[in-house]
Amino acid sequence: MNSFLTRYSSTSPDADIRKAKELYGEDEEVSEMMWGSAGGFGNLAKGVPSFKIPAVADPSSFLRMHTDDHADPSCRIKIKHGTTTLAFRYKGGVIVAVDSRATAGSYVASGTVKKVIEINPYLLGTMAGGAADCQYWETYLGIQCRLHELRNRERISVAAASKYLSNLVYSYKGMGLSMGTMICGWDKTGPAIFYVDSDGSRLKGDLFSVGSGSTFAYGVLDQGYKWDLTDEEAHELGRRSIYAAGHRDAFSGNTVNLYHVQQDGWKFIGNYDVSELHYNGPGDNVPGAPGGGYGYDIRVEGRSSSNAPA
Amino acid sequence: MSDRIYLGLPGLATDVTTLKEVFRYRVNMYTIKEEREIEPETFAHLVSSTLYEKRFGPYFIEPVMAGLEKTPSGAYKPFIAATDLIGCLNFAKDFVVAGTASTKLYGVAEGLWEPDLEPEDLFETCAQTLLNAVDRDAYSGWGAEVHLITKDKVIKRTLKGRMD
Amino acid sequence: MDISFALTGKGYVIVAADTTAARSIVKMKVDEDKIKVLSPHLLMAFSGEPGDTVQFAEYIERNIRLYQIRNTYALRPPSAASWIRRALADSLRSRRPYSVNLLVGGYDTSTHTPHLYWVDYLGTMSEVPFAAHGYGAYFALSLLDRYHDPEASLEDGLATLRRCLDEVAKRLVVTPEKYKVKVVDKDGVREVEI
Repeated sequence: MNSFLTRYSSTSPDADIRKAKELYGEDEEVSEMMWGSAGGFGNLAKGVPSFKIPAVADPSSFLRMHTDDHADPSCRIKIKHGTTTLAFRYKGGVIVAVDSRATAGSYVASGTVKKVIEINPYLLGTMAGGAADCQYWETYLGIQCRLHELRNRERISVAAASKYLSNLVYSYKGMGLSMGTMICGWDKTGPAIFYVDSDGSRLKGDLFSVGSGSTFAYGVLDQGYKWDLTDEEAHELGRRSIYAAGHRDAFSGNTVNLYHVQQDGWKFIGNYDVSELHYNGPGDNVPGAPGGGYGYDIRVEGRSSSNAPA
Repeated sequence: MSDRIYLGLPGLATDVTTLKEVFRYRVNMYTIKEEREIEPETFAHLVSSTLYEKRFGPYFIEPVMAGLEKTPSGAYKPFIAATDLIGCLNFAKDFVVAGTASTKLYGVAEGLWEPDLEPEDLFETCAQTLLNAVDRDAYSGWGAEVHLITKDKVIKRTLKGRMD
Repeated sequence: MDISFALTGKGYVIVAADTTAARSIVKMKVDEDKIKVLSPHLLMAFSGEPGDTVQFAEYIERNIRLYQIRNTYALRPPSAASWIRRALADSLRSRRPYSVNLLVGGYDTSTHTPHLYWVDYLGTMSEVPFAAHGYGAYFALSLLDRYHDPEASLEDGLATLRRCLDEVAKRLVVTPEKYKVKVVDKDGVREVEI
């Protein structure tokens, strides 16, 4: 109560300091050199990012209290959630496929989100969980990867890049960061995928799917996956799996973004509308695709379980 | 419900089925006892009182109704109505909406609807309102159906909605 | 949490359910039959709240049997499913509702058509070509969208079911070790090994 009074009184010493700050302007975190060139990363002036923290006893539970729609669906601030992302390694490199829907509660806030973050020409990151958290920290990771390149005259390995991100988010553990990401790329060791999340988990693997629709994606992905996939089959599998999740999961959908990572870096394969895939498939003469729509009703049209004599 | 009364039942799926059965039964009994078809307004009151019967343990349904009512001169006049889950009637002149996408439906309908639309224009307004609203609602979608009710015929169209 | 699957094929319905009965973290039984044979051409897999499941299934079983005794013929699948659904829907608004999820599969001998109904504890019912309850649904439904064929032979249908069970075994943290699988077709009900 005392601090509350001093904060708003106009005669206390605190108030004098406040007035002085207003007059002369002072920003503790950002030096003047950073203005105009920091691109939103102004808080990195000292080399280590620092964030203003709300002036309450327990900032992370304060934030959670007002934003966690799982615990309290009626909370007023809804953070964007709901995703399906997947990545898998096969003989031809890495396939990365994601959906593009962002939901806030039941509201479809956007259907054109870029959930693959192009960290640099050899590294991709995927986005699940807090959209802002992933976007910010993976862009930040891009900065650090570039600095690594300049310092060491050599590209950073996928393992090192993902470890950097993992250590970074781990240092914020308990503060409410929410991200589940796959760092995918090609380095000296060949194609690699690391799953990194905000709990601090970091897993190396051949096949991952993350997000609310991941179980649906796994269902199709696992059954169609083998190491010796051709490039076309691999593209089809990634696309078909995200479609499956878009179809079955209310919080995933709209469009599929498909990327392929090879020795010479990543390549954007295409953007596919989930409904278009349902009714018509990925288009005519797409190698690897069965032809026709992916939708169950489209696929089995005219077929019947009935045994009735004709 | 009849050739010129249509009922939409958005809400808890179990209650959709139960109420469909209840209304089918009650409308049939009315038709048999009165030896005539039920009028839309009468039906609206039937819906209302059926829902209010469960005032303290309601069906989780917010019905919308549309139909053609007979005027004293024998002509037909458009009729729409909606109720809340315990049967508060709302006879509207412009449009009624309900369901998980209702907030979105209000927005689009408010923008697209105008008075005295021709049947095909009304169909287009209704279809576009529905499709665009459900695309912004995670819980609605996977197809849509529109019934265009005129005095001569009813046209049912299945819309090709988004499937995600 | 129990897992059950069902799928239709050319002239048959396959119903599968795991056979574990668990209490807390302990497996009490590993060969429990959670699929009731309601009539010569009707199967019902049940899962949910322990206690409720068997009580409700037996209540349904006896009443379907009673209908058959009174009328000399059994209810056809659509009517039976409808009646079962109503029993659950009424129970939902009672003082102590049954928490039971069902898969009702049957073969209609007069139209020669297999029927499968997905019913949950709220009394939501839907006729579907394939269905699942429990965590298995999250993995199997997308897979079935991709691989299910309404005209598949029994052999192919069982192969598709195998895919579902394999996928669950691969991805689900706690996996049931055994499933009981029953088939209903024009010849009636029988159990098959998977």
